This record gives sequence, C-alpha cells and structure tokens, in this order.
Amino acid sequence: MATRRALRTLNHLTTRRAHSTTSVSANELSHFSALASSWWDPQGPSRVLHLMNPLRHDFIASCLSEALPPPSASASSSASTSSTIPAPNPNTLRYLDIGCGGGIFAESLARSISASPTTTTATPTRAASITAIDPSTTLIKIARDHARLDPMVDAHLRAGRFEYKNCTLEDLIASLSSSSSQQASPSPSSSSSSSSSSSLPSSSPSISTPIVTAPAAPAPQKYDIVTLFEVIEHIESTPSAGISPQSFLTDCLRLVRPGGWLIGSTIARTFPSWLVNQVIAEAPWPIGVVPRGTHEWQKFVNPDELEGWVQEGLMRGADGVAKAGAAVLDGMRWKCVGVVYVPGLGWKLVPGSESWGNYFWAVRKGI
Amino acid sequence: MRSLVRSAARPYVCPSCQLGGLPARRRFASHSTPTSASPEIYDVVCVGGGPAGLGLLAALRASSATSKLKVALVETQDLQKARSWSLDARHYSNRVSSLTPSSVSFLQRIGVWDHVDTARAQPYQEMQVWDGETGSRITFDWSMESSPFEDMRTVATMTENSNLVRALLSRIAESGDENLSIFSNTTVSSISNGSEIPDGPDLSAWPILSLAPTNSSTSQPPKQIAARLLVGADGINSPVRRFADISTSGWDYDRHGVVATLSLSDLDPVHYSASIKTAYQRFLPALGGPIALLPLPNNNASLVWSTTPANAAYLKALPPRAFIAMVNAAFRLSMTDLNYMLRMERPASPTTASSPALDPHEDELTWRVQHTPQPRKPSQLPPLVTGVQEGTVASFPLRFRHASTYVSPRIALVGDAAHVIHPLAGQGLNLGLGDVAALAETVAYAATHGMDLGDILTLERYAGERFATNAKIGGACDVLHKLYNVPGNGPVAWARSFGLDVIDSVPFVKGLLMRGAQ
Repeated sequence: MATRRALRTLNHLTTRRAHSTTSVSANELSHFSALASSWWDPQGPSRVLHLMNPLRHDFIASCLSEALPPPSASASSSASTSSTIPAPNPNTLRYLDIGCGGGIFAESLARSISASPTTTTATPTRAASITAIDPSTTLIKIARDHARLDPMVDAHLRAGRFEYKNCTLEDLIASLSSSSSQQASPSPSSSSSSSSSSSLPSSSPSISTPIVTAPAAPAPQKYDIVTLFEVIEHIESTPSAGISPQSFLTDCLRLVRPGGWLIGSTIARTFPSWLVNQVIAEAPWPIGVVPRGTHEWQKFVNPDELEGWVQEGLMRGADGVAKAGAAVLDGMRWKCVGVVYVPGLGWKLVPGSESWGNYFWAVRKGI
Repeated sequence: MRSLVRSAARPYVCPSCQLGGLPARRRFASHSTPTSASPEIYDVVCVGGGPAGLGLLAALRASSATSKLKVALVETQDLQKARSWSLDARHYSNRVSSLTPSSVSFLQRIGVWDHVDTARAQPYQEMQVWDGETGSRITFDWSMESSPFEDMRTVATMTENSNLVRALLSRIAESGDENLSIFSNTTVSSISNGSEIPDGPDLSAWPILSLAPTNSSTSQPPKQIAARLLVGADGINSPVRRFADISTSGWDYDRHGVVATLSLSDLDPVHYSASIKTAYQRFLPALGGPIALLPLPNNNASLVWSTTPANAAYLKALPPRAFIAMVNAAFRLSMTDLNYMLRMERPASPTTASSPALDPHEDELTWRVQHTPQPRKPSQLPPLVTGVQEGTVASFPLRFRHASTYVSPRIALVGDAAHVIHPLAGQGLNLGLGDVAALAETVAYAATHGMDLGDILTLERYAGERFATNAKIGGACDVLHKLYNVPGNGPVAWARSFGLDVIDSVPFVKGLLMRGAQ
C-alpha cells in the first residue's frame, strides 16, 4: 500500500512537471481543430453534439435537484452586502467547463445566467458564472467569435461572468494556485490551505520552480460545478509517463468544492458501443453522423471504471488534507444514466442503457 | 411596398448553404442603412397582431419559462379599437371561426378563454355533411364515443374573430407591461440585417426592423429594434417571409367564399333537439364548392359559401330577400335548379323587404322545392333562413399557399404567413393556433435549456412538429375541394359517395377521422 501511494505521488509529480502537454493528445487536438470551421454549423459534423446539449442541462438540473452545492462563504456574504432585500439571488453557482471546444455547452450555460443580478427566481442551472477552458487555440477563437453573435452572451463575457481560457487543465490549476496564494491573506476562505504556499513564486510556476505543486499544494479556487462533457474519452493515456484519465480526473476533482458536482458524459467501451459509435456513427454518409476518426474505441470508459477512478481521485485529492483516505468517500454520491440517439427523434435519456454507449455521469464531493 | 420588397429580398441561397450562410448575411448587412444608435434588442418580435400573433404573445406571457422574455408585437391596425370592440347580442360579425376542442383547450391553458365572451360563442355537437349531387350523407358527432349519461361532446365552437382578438388582448394586458412592447398603428418599414457594433456584439446575422407610425407624415427617425427571434404572423403576403427569402408554392382556387350573418326561423322542437346544435354543409359540385351554415347564439348562423367568382358576384348583388331565398335553395334544390336560379335576371331596383310583391327568387324556390325530393328526417336540413344582417354579405378569394419552410435562422413563420388553405373544413385558424402552441413550447424548451431562441437548432423542433401536420390538413382540404368539384353522376361522384357512405357506416373509421380533425 505504501509503495502504491508513493508511486501515485510520483506519477502525479511527473504529471505536473510535464505540464501543458499532459492530458492533451496532439492527435486529438489536430482532429478537433480541423473540425473547427464547421463547429457551429447546425447541419455540420457536430450536429449530433449540438442535439445532445439540451440533455446536459436536463442532467445538471437533475443533479441539482438531488443535492444543491451549499452556498459558499463569498457568495452569501456578497449577497448580504449587495442588497438589503432579504431574498437573495438563488443563482450563485460557479461553473467550470473543461474541454469546452467551440463552446457548445459553455455558451448555452452562459445563456442560462440571469441577466439581472437582482433576480430572485432560480434558473434551472442556478449559474452565476462560468469559466470554460480548452487547449486548442483554434477552437477557443471559434468559441469567442461565436459568443459575440449573441448580445446576451457577449455582455456576460464583457462583465466577466463568462470567460474563455485557452489553456489546459494543468495550466488552470497552476494559475489558480498561484493566484490563490497571492490572495492568501485577504481571502479568509483559502487560509486553511495556504500555509505551505507562501514560498511559491507567482510568476511562471511551471518552468522555473522545482516540484512544489505536490499534493500538499495550496487548494486552488474551487468551483461548484465542474463539467467534463465528451472529454474523458479523448484523454491521452501514457502509463509510462504516468498520464492517465485517472490523473486527469483527480485534477478535475481538486477543483470541485465540497458539496459540489463533477458532471460529465462519455461512452462505454462495450460491444454495442463499438458497433454504434465506430461502425455506424462514423460510417460514410448518409449513415454516419459523426466525422471519421472522432472516437477511438479503446479510449472509451465504462461506468464502473469511471466510478473507480473517481473514488481513487477523491482519495488522492484529499491527500495532505485533514480528512483522508476512504473517509472522503463518505459523503460522495455517484450518478449515472444512459443516453441513446434515435435518428429522427434525437437524444433520449434512457436509464439502464449506460453500457450501450453514451452515458451521463456525475459525482458529488462529500461536504 | 415595392421598395420594401427590394430592400428586404435577400439573394437566393440554397437551404443547406443558408443554414451555414452567415457570410452571405454579413455581406448583405453592408447594404443596410447605417444605424447611429444600436437597436433595442428583443428576444421575440412578432409582426402581425391577428389571432396567431396575439396568441403567440399570450402563450409566451402565460408560461413561467417564457414570461420574462422581452417581447414585442408590431401591428398596422389600431389594437386599441380591437380591444374595445363590442356588438349587441342581436348582431354578429361575419368573420367567424370554428375552433376545434384542441384550440379551445390551448386557449384555456394560456388563460385566454376566460376573457372570451362565451355568450357570443356557440359550441356545436353535430355536423351534417352531404353531397348535393348524389345525396350521400355523413353525420359527425361524438355520440358513438360518449356515454348516454354525459353531454354530447363538442365538435367545434363558433367564435367571432373579434371576440377572440379582444380576449387575447385582455389576457396580454392582464400579464402586465414588464418586458412587453406593443407597437400598435405601426408599420414595419424595412427589415435588414444588423451590423457589428464596435466594442459590442456582432448583430450582422440579426434581423433589425425599422418601425414607423402607420398614419404619420412626421419625419421622426424610425425606431430600430433587433430580434433574437422574428416571428412572421403577418399574413399571406408576409414581409417577414420575404425578408427570410422563403418561397411559397400554391395556387388560387378561382373561387370566392361568400360570407354573411343570417338569422334562422325558430326551431321546430319536434325535429330539432334544443341541446344539440348542428352545423350543415352541402357540397354543390356544379356550383364550385360547398355551402355551410354554422350555428351562432340566439338562432343566428354564419354562412360560408364557396363558389365561382361569377356566382359570388351575383349573390352579393342580390337584394336581401333574394339572397335569403338563394341560401335556402342551395340547401334544398338540385344542381340544375340552382344553376337556373343563379342566372335569373336580378330585379332592376332592390325590392324593399316590406314590399308585398313576391320576390322572383322566393317564387322560384317555393314551387321548385315542391318538386324536389327532400330528406326523410327534417333535421337533416338546416332551419329556414329568415333574415340577413345588414352589411355582412362579403366575399374573399380562396387560395392555397404553403411556405417551403417555416423557419430560417432567427425567423419563424406562423399562421397564414406559413400556410393558407381552403376553408371547407374550417381549419385555417386552428392550424394557426396549433403553430403558435408548438412555437411557444419550442421557445419555452429553448429558454430552459440555454438554447438561443432564434437558432435554427431550436426552431427546427417547431418546423418538425408543424410542417407535416399542416401540409396534411391543407392537402386533405385541397383533395376534398377537387373531389367535390366534379359535376354530374360520373365515376368520381359515385366513388366519393361510396367513400362517404363507408365512412359514415363504419364507426371505427369515422372516429379516427374525427380525432384526426381535432
């Protein structure tokens, strides 16, 4: 057990050092960048993805109805100072969308942010802000350009409630860690974990510093909801370098506040999914609905594998924090529901169909 | 109008290119008039304040998912007048629609029906339809599906359009004026694509409407509004449809619908049930279309007679007594008799109703009906028409139109802008309300799922739901019109009568048809 844990730490360290290229595969990057020009074409190669998007909102709403992330200290304090009206704005959740691509989900989520900050009616997503990241410069540009076409989304972008960042998850964690260490003294919420971070230089942490962002690194600013739609199956797995979907998930979970959700969707690695996603969906026109080479079946993830990784990730993420090991799993919730594409009817949530192919999953971090 | 056409017409782009065709629109934007100030942005702008446009607005205001959307409606007519419309209980407008139960339940759902003056609306429970050439007959009622202990179910409810419009306006007013702009007495002087606002959003794919007061020569600059979703509820010559460059196909029937508000003789309680109201429709193949008498309250009825333009002109020019005689004749006499009567010389000077001399048309009817076999049950014929309300005899051309698509980026068409059908089944307004219900639902789904209301991915749901349905009903009416325009007793007449008899005698088929019509 001890050796395993040491190995795990080691993996993690190498992951951190490899930095901006860790979880992102060069092949995947070029594949999706090539699709960029047609990303927002409703009849284009990403049509199936566009059609799935409303279901992501449904699934998020179902997670929130099960357990709402508790109000954060900052949200409640700002609500109490900003207005004297007793009913606060119920839409306080901070979202992070990892691997946002051309912004299909991120933009739709931004649209769900209420335009009036004084509203007292809860929106289905309860979103207050969203940060969306993607490693592809081309796609981020597409996303930003498209966001300008909608005055409401554009206003959110200008107001900072909505933000696109062209970076990898690892970059984001690094920048958040450094910024949170900078803000360590004024921000009371980060004081619990910032003790060891004072030595961290604020500039270019990735290149010049030795390995300091170890598991005991300062907890970065966290999000109520982190989303990972159709991403995990595109993560490069290089065991020799210690890079795996597992380490990627661990990083994602680090960014989730206690009581918050990590929500994603992916494809199961089963015979029906191979048939549907590789043989049929990527078949030549008119049968296929997905561009050839979008998926690699070997990278698909089964629900039970994912659940295992998530549990492992939660434990790893808890390393160095007071509550550790299996104890962190106490308050966790796991949720999984299959989704099926019926030509002519579109996507339908079908509980129990997880192993046929596409499915939504969510994990709630214990408080 | 011509200049509007030119300024609004976009270069033709094939549908698939159009969907991804933002560059084409951007290029077009350079032609648009430069706007000094950025336009006011609305979520939904509806052009046209008829039943469809107002229905959409009322539906959006009624749903919690869409009540907060910023909406606008533009109408050339004075909506204040429509709001304060009123007639006494003895007079009825000649513009009447037969609302199906599903239309009524939609209006109830969105809280409009409470504002309808139901004393002026007449539900009917039975429909008598027969072929004037062969006598083949079909009776539509729900008696087969209702138990004897419940009231007979309604086939449809006759409602004056003005009554409905007034109710829609009251319902909209009741929803408050937050996020709502009604531009009454206002014309859309142009629609063009917007432009990129420096340090702001890029509106180059957004429709921008220039609004001007309808009757005004003041040179104040037109108001500019931008629409996330522009809804064309602006009728058969829809400017919105032209802006979107959506083509329509169709034809003119070369028929006119003659309408009038009539009063009927007191019902004979022996043959007519007091609780069951009946609509009557007789197909007159040799005269160009059916005549229908639809019940209104207080023993009044609304007439719709589809016939050739020549016959329509003849009928409209008849003095009241002759007109009444022609309507009564049309439900009772043979095609030959009717053709003769429609060619009789009209009296040189209109005889007054009080004149004791017998009207020549009345005279003809009286002796011809004695020599014409009549149905065994008197209730198979409508009661005699005894009066025509002054100023209600009018006619309108019958046309068939169907837009090639109902949606385009940031554009949706509803009602007559999308489809105009033959009125023989009384489905026109019902299709419009069906469109509106579906579009309001689509908008609500989009609003709760972070979708852009004007995005084609949002709108294709609406189009998918309505296009085939409307085409089917419009097509069925067209087929019926053609089938019942073949005169004589040839094979077509035999076949259609055989079909009618089969449908009438096989309850299963009839039930299926009636549910389909709902």
